Amino acid sequence: MIGLTDRPLADQFGKRFDLGAAVSVVEWIGEQAWFACGNGVVRRLSADGTSADIAVHDGAILCAAPGPDRRALLTGGDDGRVVRVAADGTTEELGHFGRHWVDHIIASPQSGVIVAAVGKEAVVWKSGHRQPSHRYAFASTIGGIALDAKGKRLAVTGYGGATLLYASAADSARTILDWRGSHLQCTLSPDGAFLVSAMQETGLHGWKLPDKTDLAMSGYHGKTKSYSWSKRGKWLATSGHFSVVIWPFQGKNGPMGGRAVTLGASSALVTRVAFNPQIDVLAAGYADGSVNLLRLDDEAFAPVEIAGGSAISALGWRDDGAVLAWGAEDGRTGLLDMARLP
Amino acid sequence: MSTDKVPVTVLTGYLGAGKTTLLNRILSEDHGKQYAVIVNEFGEIGIDNDLIVDADEEVFEMNNGCICCTVRGDLIRIIEGLMKRRNKFDAIIIETTGLADPAPVAQTFFVDDDVAERASLDAIVTVVDAKHVLLRLEDSHEAEEQIAFADIILLNKTDLVSPQELEEVRQRIRLINNQAKMFETVNSQVPLDQVLGVGAFDLDRVLAIEPDFLGEEEHEHDDAITSISLSSDAPMNPDRFLSWVRRVTAEQGQDILRTKGIIAFPNEPKRYVVQGVHMLMTGDVQEREWAADEPRTSRLVFIGRNLDREALNAGFMSCAA
Repeated sequence: MIGLTDRPLADQFGKRFDLGAAVSVVEWIGEQAWFACGNGVVRRLSADGTSADIAVHDGAILCAAPGPDRRALLTGGDDGRVVRVAADGTTEELGHFGRHWVDHIIASPQSGVIVAAVGKEAVVWKSGHRQPSHRYAFASTIGGIALDAKGKRLAVTGYGGATLLYASAADSARTILDWRGSHLQCTLSPDGAFLVSAMQETGLHGWKLPDKTDLAMSGYHGKTKSYSWSKRGKWLATSGHFSVVIWPFQGKNGPMGGRAVTLGASSALVTRVAFNPQIDVLAAGYADGSVNLLRLDDEAFAPVEIAGGSAISALGWRDDGAVLAWGAEDGRTGLLDMARLP
Repeated sequence: MSTDKVPVTVLTGYLGAGKTTLLNRILSEDHGKQYAVIVNEFGEIGIDNDLIVDADEEVFEMNNGCICCTVRGDLIRIIEGLMKRRNKFDAIIIETTGLADPAPVAQTFFVDDDVAERASLDAIVTVVDAKHVLLRLEDSHEAEEQIAFADIILLNKTDLVSPQELEEVRQRIRLINNQAKMFETVNSQVPLDQVLGVGAFDLDRVLAIEPDFLGEEEHEHDDAITSISLSSDAPMNPDRFLSWVRRVTAEQGQDILRTKGIIAFPNEPKRYVVQGVHMLMTGDVQEREWAADEPRTSRLVFIGRNLDREALNAGFMSCAA
């Protein structure tokens, strides 16, 4: 990584854009960063600065994820629709849920399933299906959904805990994980051995599986909304505090008995985290609009974007780890080309 | 894009009181403002609009050691979602069901940092049906709580009662809540600028605490909600007052629904204002100073159940500097 400098890397090695709408999610589809926005538009940006807009939703895009083939973006909106936006810009409605908001969407390249959280229901599209295959109903509104690396095990959180299911089975047995309080965004470790969920009261609750041992990961100032697993699931980086809180998951007991590593301390809360898919470098976005690169080994630090403006709401690396994309609640976005770094 | 906090009006009232009529007026009248409306029964509103959002009224207990601390989980999610198109509306209105306790809604704005950063409570507006309210108060805690929590009360359907009955209703409401601004209406006809954007929870805009004009309360039944107004012409010792008011609201927070006070501290030219919902309190000095001709009288009001006026008064007086 380059030496310490006050000048943000975006000045020299990046490009900045103003999308004029809140950025909900950024995902890379091939060579382009796709920004899903609060005005219902998906804007595709290339590293060379070319862009194209696709109007997708009548309202805000609340969630988005790459499709199982990674050649399309799946979006969910407050217009109650789930839409598949193909690389050529064509859109196809995969589901319409009336006046309900589509709050979360995930998909697995391995199993091909797509899961969306719509109010109190998790809706599943089996591999290759263009219409919902089945739904699971829950007692409270879904706070978060997650799939393991194989795309088989589905975790759904809500008020009072979480439920584990086998996503492709309509009549899947349910494993109930109880814990008092409202559970929000969640993540399954790639091997499916741990489920971690964010609490309304702040802090994380974890379950070691299959024995359901409880783990408490506390000390956060705000709610955790963003997770990122390092290569092979050795570390879990989390948002919600004045530094990135990174939990060790190397051993079979996960973070139990271990200590979290904190990186990238700031006076602003960390809002988004994203591990580079190739190297042990982490990007962190903050509530003051800044973005930093952080290295796990030696705690080296490089500013990508300086503070000013509203919170970073989206962060994502291109699959080859060579370009970082970020977006903020006020529509400010940028791309950083790592290949150009000295 | 605006970075200001979005004002949020909470609209409560028993079924049939006239909430929907008021809401329809807000949505259809030409006032140049756009409102995002969070409703509980969409079908009731005759207007379709992509800024009308369905709520589920999911009340969550918080595991933060505060026993009466509940929040509306669905509101946290909806407000966060609405913020993605912040430039599409000027303010938010939350309609609660007729049977809802307003506390979880109000507490959401104190407890959840994400919500508190983006939105602020403007006022709790309660629509009351003049014809049926006395009966409702007999059989429903919620009807009483909705009046107790109100910053603004629309005493509606006054055309359906006699002047004598209306006076009875007025007095009954004043016993519960002697602080709310009351409008007597037919068909919820009230100038909308008297109801929206009033800043009742804005510490800087709290102008006056009404003195207790009814004198001693007559208790209707043991757990009836009443307003207790305390006042002192001696300035208050800040440390003593703040620790006392914190202790009272912590110990009796389940019974105390609202707290509101304007306090004079010695050698402090500005007025100190406190506002609270159950155990949750905010307080700050106002931008505005005590006026030269204004008596520096500290006033504090508790609205709640089982309140011991003597003990509260003695506690308040002992905070004098």
